[in-house]
Amino acid sequence: MKKAWNIIWKHGLLIILSVIWMIPILWLFVTSLSGYKGINTMHFFPQEWTLDNYKQLFFEPDTVANFPAWFKNSMIIGCFVCLISTFFVLGVSYALSCMRFRGRKQLMSFSIILGMFPGVLSMIAIYFVMKLVGLSDSIVGLIVVYSGASGLGYLICKGFFDTIPASLRESAKLEGASQLTIFTRIVIPLSKPIIVYTVINSFLAPWMDFVMAKLMIKSKNPVDWTVAMGLYKLVERTLVGNYFSVFCAGGIIVAIPISVLFVIMQKFYVEGITGGAVKG
Amino acid sequence: MRRYFTDFGKAIKNGDVWTRLSLIVMGAGYFGRKQIVKGILMTLIELGFVLFTARVSWQYIRRLNTLGTVQREEIFDPLTLSKTVNDYDNSLLILLLGVIGIILIFAFVVLYIGNMKHVYSLQRLKEQGKHINTFGEDLAALVNEKFHITLLTLPALGVILINVIPIIFMVCVAFTNYDKDHQPPTYLFTWVGLENFEQMFTSNTTVTFGFVFVRILIWTLFWSVIATFSTYIGGILLAKLINDRVVKLKKLWRSIFVVTIAIPQFVTMLLVGKMFGDYGIVNSICNNIGLTGWMQSAGLVSDGLSYIPFLSKPGWAHVTIILINLWVGIPYQMLAATGILLNIPEEQLESARIDGANERQIFRKIIMPYMLFVTGPSLITALVSNINNFNVIYLLTSDYVTPSMKFANSSAKEVDLLITWLFTLTNQESNYKMASVIGIIVFAICATLTLISFSRFIAGNREEDYQ
Repeated sequence: MKKAWNIIWKHGLLIILSVIWMIPILWLFVTSLSGYKGINTMHFFPQEWTLDNYKQLFFEPDTVANFPAWFKNSMIIGCFVCLISTFFVLGVSYALSCMRFRGRKQLMSFSIILGMFPGVLSMIAIYFVMKLVGLSDSIVGLIVVYSGASGLGYLICKGFFDTIPASLRESAKLEGASQLTIFTRIVIPLSKPIIVYTVINSFLAPWMDFVMAKLMIKSKNPVDWTVAMGLYKLVERTLVGNYFSVFCAGGIIVAIPISVLFVIMQKFYVEGITGGAVKG
Repeated sequence: MRRYFTDFGKAIKNGDVWTRLSLIVMGAGYFGRKQIVKGILMTLIELGFVLFTARVSWQYIRRLNTLGTVQREEIFDPLTLSKTVNDYDNSLLILLLGVIGIILIFAFVVLYIGNMKHVYSLQRLKEQGKHINTFGEDLAALVNEKFHITLLTLPALGVILINVIPIIFMVCVAFTNYDKDHQPPTYLFTWVGLENFEQMFTSNTTVTFGFVFVRILIWTLFWSVIATFSTYIGGILLAKLINDRVVKLKKLWRSIFVVTIAIPQFVTMLLVGKMFGDYGIVNSICNNIGLTGWMQSAGLVSDGLSYIPFLSKPGWAHVTIILINLWVGIPYQMLAATGILLNIPEEQLESARIDGANERQIFRKIIMPYMLFVTGPSLITALVSNINNFNVIYLLTSDYVTPSMKFANSSAKEVDLLITWLFTLTNQESNYKMASVIGIIVFAICATLTLISFSRFIAGNREEDYQ
């Protein structure tokens, strides 16, 4: 009897919690199917159901909303940032974890100090620098901004590399393998979880960020915007009355692939976070 | 440090013709040892540096002391009907290119000294009749014993461009009067010493920064502590609940919570912000079920309002934000905690059970100490990242209007963190000088916290406690 009760209350609690966590997402979903364009303040579920918002999102770009172009831009940025960042993070982690050279410790302390400056502060200065180089207001500029400093995010990955037995590398060295070979043939194949973690994280960063994008892209033409920035603009005070349900539809479209990615990669993700954390 | 320079001196003293020639033409030492390609590369770098400094950066560096003296003026020429602009100074460019120029000079000096030492060591090799690497061998070393140089060069350049230069620039700005009234190219700004820091801590009838700063600092610290620990504990409890032996469909439950992480925060937070708006859906529901009326009679909501000011009145907004943050943060912590919980040795739990410990005792005496040990350093990281938690606060309070004149005067809101205040100051007010001061203070706080965590968790060698 006591056991049955135990099962029931635990599942009951989980159901209640799940409902709480799902309410905003359910609202996002149902509002994206609403026939009313503004914020529905009186009813949770829309009065009339329609797929118009999705149709408008994909096939009827106008002067404020051009989702296909945003998606393309974000996709290009995401792919390049993902490639560059992953390369940077893995490279820096390998150098700092598996190699010994003069100044290694100082470099690590320096990177930790750098990481403590608030990113928001340097944003405006990054914009000035990019303007100086002539890369502001362009996709290339955004790629540089998102991936440039990614080398600093090596801590978790390095923690993982630290757990790979040094004896593996030593024996490869005795066999005459160069550091490059050890890196590509031994360390990388052993680090699947952390690579997946790095890849997902760096791919998602440009999809989630609206602040830097808004600062960098001054163009008034929606063709030049990214998804995050474009969607954010849709809920600005003057537009929200006409575009709120479209915004929700956009949110759903962005969320679906990312959610699927997350749920599938959950295992890697957990290992990624904790693998680094255990080492401190 | 001393050896660094004595080695350099030794290289000059004992160097032969080629080595000493390298003092002027950096590649000379390589030419003398038949490393032609390397010599050409070095000389080209030297040439490029000298040209850049002389032609471009020097004219900015030499004006760094004043940040420019000639203000921009437009003169309308009635004859040609066109405007001519005088040869004006741009303080922003002077500071930015000045900083870049100085970094380059610094980097070049390091390279120069390193080059001299290297050339000297080549000379020694030659004297001893040892093998001197060919260019091909040097290249091969770059994927072997010098592989770290290959790996680190590009990331380091990126960090310098995106992190180091902007940070140095903004730190400098804290000591200038760069604000709305001193915006290049039209106007000049200049050094003002510690004036901005003084302003940050004064509060009188015209300047309210001191008044606002103390309140925002307290809220920032309070928020980061509450937000970190509430989501941390919540995450562990949730992970424990899902991983309980009697719970079925663990993967499904976990996925439900993970999905909320996957949706970008600017979507969920804007949405939740609208839900809790003054005339949002939550208020409609509260009105319908009579909660608003009850709140009014209980004195929690003032009578003049027909809604509950979830996100629009101080006090209410603070509580709502912390509660909504539970929604954001618990799934993250749950994911992290899950991995660690699964690592707790099952025998430990089992033997505790056999000894008659109940679930609560096990949680308090075994699970929590273990979790704290493993996640201790990451708790501090979480604390620091909550101090800098821009998204949640910024997105939830976009419709918040401060009722206080003093806050409005410093373009702040009661619910602002230091970091969102900084953002408003730069992006809406162009008050870069004060924003930089705040940025330096935030850095000081985060650095202190991190230092404490390092000495507390890393220095003490407790790594083997749980092995």
